Amino acid sequence: MTATALLVADPATCTEELDRALRHDGFAVSHADIDTPAGRTGPPPDLVLVSASFGLHRVALLSQRLAGPAGSPTVVVFPGDDLDELQSCVRGGFDYVLPPFLPDLLRTRLSSCRERGRLTRAVEEMAAMASLREYERDLSIARDIQTGFLPDALPSPAGWELAARFRPAKQVAGDFYDGFELLDGERLGVVVADVCDKGIGAALFMALIRTLLRHTAQHTDTGDPLHRAVTGTNRYLTRNHLQQGYFATLFFGVLDPGTGMLCYINGGHNPPVIIRASGGRCPLEPTGPAVGMMADSRFEVRQTRLLPGDRLFVYTDGVVEARDAGGGQFGTDRMLDVVTRPAVSADALLDRVDERLRRHVGSAEQSDDITMLALRRQVTGQGSVER
Amino acid sequence: MSFQATVQSAQGVVTFRLSGELDSRSAPRFHEMITQAVLPAARRLVLQMADLSYMSSAGLRCLVYAHQRAGSGVAIELVGTRPEVAETIRLTGFDRSLTMLEAGARP
Repeated sequence: MTATALLVADPATCTEELDRALRHDGFAVSHADIDTPAGRTGPPPDLVLVSASFGLHRVALLSQRLAGPAGSPTVVVFPGDDLDELQSCVRGGFDYVLPPFLPDLLRTRLSSCRERGRLTRAVEEMAAMASLREYERDLSIARDIQTGFLPDALPSPAGWELAARFRPAKQVAGDFYDGFELLDGERLGVVVADVCDKGIGAALFMALIRTLLRHTAQHTDTGDPLHRAVTGTNRYLTRNHLQQGYFATLFFGVLDPGTGMLCYINGGHNPPVIIRASGGRCPLEPTGPAVGMMADSRFEVRQTRLLPGDRLFVYTDGVVEARDAGGGQFGTDRMLDVVTRPAVSADALLDRVDERLRRHVGSAEQSDDITMLALRRQVTGQGSVER
Repeated sequence: MSFQATVQSAQGVVTFRLSGELDSRSAPRFHEMITQAVLPAARRLVLQMADLSYMSSAGLRCLVYAHQRAGSGVAIELVGTRPEVAETIRLTGFDRSLTMLEAGARP
């Protein structure tokens, strides 16, 4: 294929010598004034020679205009009457050729110009790829670190089943769940939380809030670890991070596996629901506001009791607000309908909700983090209370 | 529906008019508007909410941020909030820091 060259110069400028040298070199040469190439159709030329007399600004604009999706041509300036203009174009990063335009001299010069142009573009592309790859690597490291802030395995006291599902919408999430032993294994702590917003900011606050809650709860040997953990976390956040405006809605339950007594704080979170083996269900409404939102918040501890066969289902708003392709939400009613049906285990319960959710969302993009946790008291087995 | 917001300031009252869906995609824009608005000088902050059809926790974070920027002495009024959006606010307990008004209760 014949290489193409475009000569851009004021019509009054004599470019005959340059034209002849290019043709001699095998180029198909066309001519244009500086403003006309904008209306050109077809592929951009391989080489553009522009008169420096247009000035750096117009030459740079022309170079931008000629850049196509397949890349930009090599743009080289040649001097007009004023050598200062040539200098300013060269300082602006354009390569140049000087008369006399003898075919052999020009060929050598142009081939080195094109070589340099290719090199520059390759370096630019590599730099862009490298920065994208670096960003992706950072995100994947963040994801790995965040995974470390979720429990490796959930404790399972005798007679109880504890299961969780966690599906972030992005690489990193603002949701989290936790399950850990308290008071030397006498109690089981379960947490589901939703830090407002998404992405890296929410993920950093997730790590902070999870740590504060778990650490405080596990290091309070006297008094009420549940209340201490939630009020302490709220105090810490509002004292140190109020400016950022991050807060978390959360449910924190502390179970006595022996008796089935569940103490809990619901800090502005979607009400978890207890599905009774005897039929009926019971929502655990908020007992205080979201954590980290207001300095003077008060959190009340409430309690309920889980009997054999009872299930506790805790979730984040990503479940009820999951959208299908048409924007329709999964909804609280549908969720309650799914969780209320009999379930043989905590895992089976979550699998069923997960399956219904996936069917609802279909091919639509997951818009929010989805987190669910189920706690079930087994009907028979050690630790169950006969009634 | 895409999110839209306008802001007006007159005699110490800063009024935002919101419409569409305020979620994590649109929240940064509203956040920036709150940053730009001269809230510390305001006496009252009014949010016209009647046309806001959805608000996620990212949107609520903007309101918390506005509350903090304005300072505790500044009253925040939400006018004509739709039930679904009001429920999001009520659930988190942030309604304690706001005044919720019916549409048309205030100009």
